[in-house]
Amino acid sequence: MIPEKKKQFNWVFFQNLVVRQIRQDYLENITGFAWLILQPLILLAVYAFVFSTIFQARLPEAEEIGFVPYLAVAFWPWTAFSEAILRANNSITANGSLIGKVAFATAQIPLATVTATFIMHLIGYLAVLVVLQLMGTDMHWAYLPLVLPVMVLMWIFACAISLFTSAIQVFVRDLAQILPPLMTFWFFTTPILYSSSHLPPVIQKLTEWNPMAWFVARLRELLLFGEVNVDYKSLLIVLFIAIFAWASFRFFHRFSGHFEDFL
Amino acid sequence: MDTLVRIEGVSKVYPRVHKSRERLQAFVSLLFGRTPEHGARVLNNINLDVVRGQSLGIIGENGAGKSTLLKVLTGVIQPTYGRVMVHAKIAAMLELGAGFQPDFSGMENVRMKASLMGLTNLELDERLDDILAFADIGEYIHEPVKHYSSGMVVRLGFAVITACRPDLLITDEVLAVGDESFQKKCIRWIQQFLEQGGTLLLVSHSMYVVQKLCQKALWVHAGGVEQYGEVFPVTQAYLAWHEKRNAKEKERQVRATGDGTYYRIEKLKLAGGNDEEPPKFAMGEDLDVELQIYSPDNRPPVGVVGVVRADGTPVYGVVSDNEGVIPVKLADHYYSFHLRLNDIALLPGSYNLSAHSMDPEGLRVFDNRQVSFMVTGNTKEAGYIRLPHEWLD
Repeated sequence: MIPEKKKQFNWVFFQNLVVRQIRQDYLENITGFAWLILQPLILLAVYAFVFSTIFQARLPEAEEIGFVPYLAVAFWPWTAFSEAILRANNSITANGSLIGKVAFATAQIPLATVTATFIMHLIGYLAVLVVLQLMGTDMHWAYLPLVLPVMVLMWIFACAISLFTSAIQVFVRDLAQILPPLMTFWFFTTPILYSSSHLPPVIQKLTEWNPMAWFVARLRELLLFGEVNVDYKSLLIVLFIAIFAWASFRFFHRFSGHFEDFL
Repeated sequence: MDTLVRIEGVSKVYPRVHKSRERLQAFVSLLFGRTPEHGARVLNNINLDVVRGQSLGIIGENGAGKSTLLKVLTGVIQPTYGRVMVHAKIAAMLELGAGFQPDFSGMENVRMKASLMGLTNLELDERLDDILAFADIGEYIHEPVKHYSSGMVVRLGFAVITACRPDLLITDEVLAVGDESFQKKCIRWIQQFLEQGGTLLLVSHSMYVVQKLCQKALWVHAGGVEQYGEVFPVTQAYLAWHEKRNAKEKERQVRATGDGTYYRIEKLKLAGGNDEEPPKFAMGEDLDVELQIYSPDNRPPVGVVGVVRADGTPVYGVVSDNEGVIPVKLADHYYSFHLRLNDIALLPGSYNLSAHSMDPEGLRVFDNRQVSFMVTGNTKEAGYIRLPHEWLD
């Protein structure tokens, strides 16, 4: 007699979930796919206009690169990250009918949502990088393979956050209202629209502990400057995300068996 | 013996979840590893072993906890107390739509469901034709499931299950939704599945289906096991309990309307009959019926008289006010109908004369009574009734 069979991660099911999510969110209609590129593009244009034309923002370390590429390289990954978390937050509640009728590892649902969002935005990211190159920005394509591990780490980070938030969302429905402003706050405190050198020293110090700031800095280094900066801090970030991801799984499992009671 | 599922001391308490404060409290207690204990207790200390090759029917009234028990068994919900041990590939079909997503096509849902049940894409491709053939819903397979009828959803759901070849099949009251031929198809499949050593857990309100498919039955009542054993004794005990409850219910209704304050049948008599044995009539005799009804408000009530075969098949019935008949007033509150069924054409056999009393508006039935009688005669005609006929040249 084997003790209670653990609900296992089901790879085929997970793939199906991701594909379904992509179809549902992005490919249901042609405009859905167009908006995937258009929406961040418009936002990018707005930010570029506001910051470079109205605020006359200067980028001391990237004068010759220009504001738009500087912003775009960081903006798309952030969009993927933020959208993934916001979408995944409601994913458990949205799939209540499935959870109430079939036994499976529920964690697959938020994870599939995050994965689908990342895949789609990565496609958009690649398109944008090509466009930047065509518009005359000198992209360091040789470093593209190194972008992948950075994005994977970011994906793991988004997955971990989503495991926390989607589990809490089942019990505390208000989270859906609280989360978007929190993400906006995070967006503005991460040096995406500006360079961290603009920040007062105290806040600059704090920003060093923002994982997203680390991601953004690495992506810019790799793609715009062709630099690789791996130091003890990178190791700390990797370690932190690993522990955080493990904790998120533990946290999720504590609640997942009880979701059905609260859906 | 090879135990597929063992349930030990399982109780389930559904926590209170309506107020956000209650949800928050539940969240905090779960966070600290405690199980929220306040709420509705649906299952109470259930023990059960399901052995390979067994077929078990779970019966019980609505709200007894059958569905919750199945959900605990399949691992959809965690029991509040106790342990569930599963050692089998389970295919479950709980409630309608069994995890289908309404916005996606039948085909996509089949893919999802098959992968959930552990089929690889390759296996699914091999068995897809069988699934589609079993479901037999034609081109609808490419339509979103939300456009399906409930019967079609069940067909598709069951078709996927047949392709997954589970050790243990768990099904809720879903088969009842399919049409006659599909139900038969499912029952045939289940029988074959059982013959090949499959194990079945079936929840049903149809004792016929339970007796047909199951060796054992578990009667769940108020969250606990009322009876467990061979299928026939348990289902019979369950039916008997229902009948008793219905009788009580009726008595309560009668009392609720107050003693003597409803249209009560005082007397139903067949001329020629006595109390000892059912009166006998030869075919072609007249049947004289006397029906007395008590009217609480002294208005003339409506009477219904009918003839029913001993097995319950109705043969004929007539309502007094449809024919404009007003009963004779015997005394205050007492009315009498006198009906003659001329030249009865009933074929020999046992019958019941059945009468109902209704209010003067003919809207509500208040009381009923039956007396049995027999029709005698020598004839080889078949059926219940002799239709006037003649053989022509």
